[in-house]
Amino acid sequence: MGNVVEMRGVTKIYHSGSRQRTVDVQALRGIDLDIREGEFVAIMGPSGSGKSTLMHIIGLLDTPTDGRYTLGNVPVAGMREDELARLRNRKIGFVFQAFFLLPRLIAQRNVELPLVYRGLPFSERQRRAHAALQAVGLEDRLYHYPNELSGGQKQRVAIARALVQEPDILLADEPTGNLDSQASLEVLDLFDDLHRQGKTIIMVTHEPDVGARAKRIVRMHDGRIVV
Amino acid sequence: MSLFENIRIAFEALWNNRLRSFLALLGIVIGVFAVTALVSLGQMATAGITSDLESVASRMIIIQPNYHLGIDMKRLNDLDVQTLSRLPVTVIPEVVSNAEYEKKPGDRRSVTLYGTPGDMPHIDAATKLANGRYFTDAEAQSGLAVAVINPPAVKEIFGTADPIGKRLRLFYPNSGRVEVMVVGVTEPLNFGFGGEPPQVSVPSSLLWRTHPDVRRNEYHVVFLHVRGNLDLQSVQHQAEQLLSARHAKDSLQFFSAESLKSTLGSITIILQALLGAIAGLSLLVGGIGIMNIMLVSVTERTREIGLRKALGATSAQIRWQFISEAVVLTFVGGLLGVLLAAGVLWLIVKTVPFFKVFVLSPSTITLALGVSVLVGLFFGVWPAARAAKLDPIESLRYE
Repeated sequence: MGNVVEMRGVTKIYHSGSRQRTVDVQALRGIDLDIREGEFVAIMGPSGSGKSTLMHIIGLLDTPTDGRYTLGNVPVAGMREDELARLRNRKIGFVFQAFFLLPRLIAQRNVELPLVYRGLPFSERQRRAHAALQAVGLEDRLYHYPNELSGGQKQRVAIARALVQEPDILLADEPTGNLDSQASLEVLDLFDDLHRQGKTIIMVTHEPDVGARAKRIVRMHDGRIVV
Repeated sequence: MSLFENIRIAFEALWNNRLRSFLALLGIVIGVFAVTALVSLGQMATAGITSDLESVASRMIIIQPNYHLGIDMKRLNDLDVQTLSRLPVTVIPEVVSNAEYEKKPGDRRSVTLYGTPGDMPHIDAATKLANGRYFTDAEAQSGLAVAVINPPAVKEIFGTADPIGKRLRLFYPNSGRVEVMVVGVTEPLNFGFGGEPPQVSVPSSLLWRTHPDVRRNEYHVVFLHVRGNLDLQSVQHQAEQLLSARHAKDSLQFFSAESLKSTLGSITIILQALLGAIAGLSLLVGGIGIMNIMLVSVTERTREIGLRKALGATSAQIRWQFISEAVVLTFVGGLLGVLLAAGVLWLIVKTVPFFKVFVLSPSTITLALGVSVLVGLFFGVWPAARAAKLDPIESLRYE
């Protein structure tokens, strides 16, 4: 199987501070990382280690200052913002710690959201959203608003929203951070299922027992991969 | 992403914030209402006056000396009247003057005094008698001291008493006086703004004989009542030709209902443009209100914008989403404004006698809605640009 993510010497420098005194923060100091199709990887590290920055670059929300990043055979360097958005829409399925469901939309409409920007017709979106919600075991919650769902269910809707894109990578940022232990287990079991079905999952976390569910752990420290 | 999709999302977002959306579009509603109502009121006034004109003078050509040219003007006389009689028209020559009557000893009030031919109701359809009779041709020829007065004159001079058969003493402006007997009262004229002034009509020859300022066989104005459905313009042209022998070019003025209408039309257009522009100011204020609300909305929905971008929305898609929201808001405001204007105009037609016809032309509606959409586009662009350039990572972290 080929590499979904291929990084060579990726660095990221942030300029922060006022006009008079800018401070350069080196968030990533040369990352080499390969993730194969179908892998379940956890990126772990203390806060400030650069794991969020790495996730943003993998997820095309940010671009490297230097180095080469290839996402499923597509070299990302030099892409315009709207090209990145379209690539994000096709290849990256985000799952966030705080779910980020739109509170005024029912579950099904929340799941449809990425397909709206792909320009799919209404009926097609509806069909795919049904299927995605079924895949996460929420076929009986299609018409519920987020505030009518439990934390675990909300996160499963968010996972369905990522799955509906049929992305190359499921990119989860602290997916259990806002959940109690029971709901955390549900979500992690779901990730296991998806992994068995062949999905590529990259999960950012600082909780060791959550990271332990992944098949490979990438540890970060001071902007470098240490293991 | 289709236009329809944008509009649907916009409706959704606005509906989720019903109260605020409603308050934001109130400004637009009032602005569009003001523009629509004022423009339509202008059209209604024009339409009302035009229909008045048509009922009174649709087939009339009015000829009078060009008073602007000053003292040296040459009045129309019997010779001109005879010349004009060759045309397919009924010629109604009139003397126009004024006089005073004594309300109480020492209290003199003025009335308009006309010298007319006899039997006016037979030659001019607009002259109708409510009471008594018009003096006859024979009475007019011999210049008898008889008079027909209009309802305001009856009210001013005789109050509630029956004026028929009463004597009326009239004083000419500089010197002299005449005493006439009232033989008839005309029907009230339903014309334009407010009432007619008090008027007294007597035979022209009576004025020639007794009025120190009116010269024999001269008239101040000649009405031509065009027969059948002959073209007014060509008859007017022929009249101009006939009179050119005795009168210098431009020394006479010709009016018809047509020319009055076009003059009226240009006046109302200027008025409408002026009122419309003033009302447009309220639209400007409404537009600024929309911009304000949209800016607040963009700030409030920063996380939503970040999420949408993370899910693959391009900046252009975000921009159009917010512009659509602004336009939907102003368009709905425009619709409500037009409906409100229609309702108020209808009430005005029902209650104010001056406005007889309801006018809300498709072009006014199109203009109102078009301007609403433009206001939305214009004032939506900046907030939408702010939304579009938000950074997804920052936005998702926004609290």
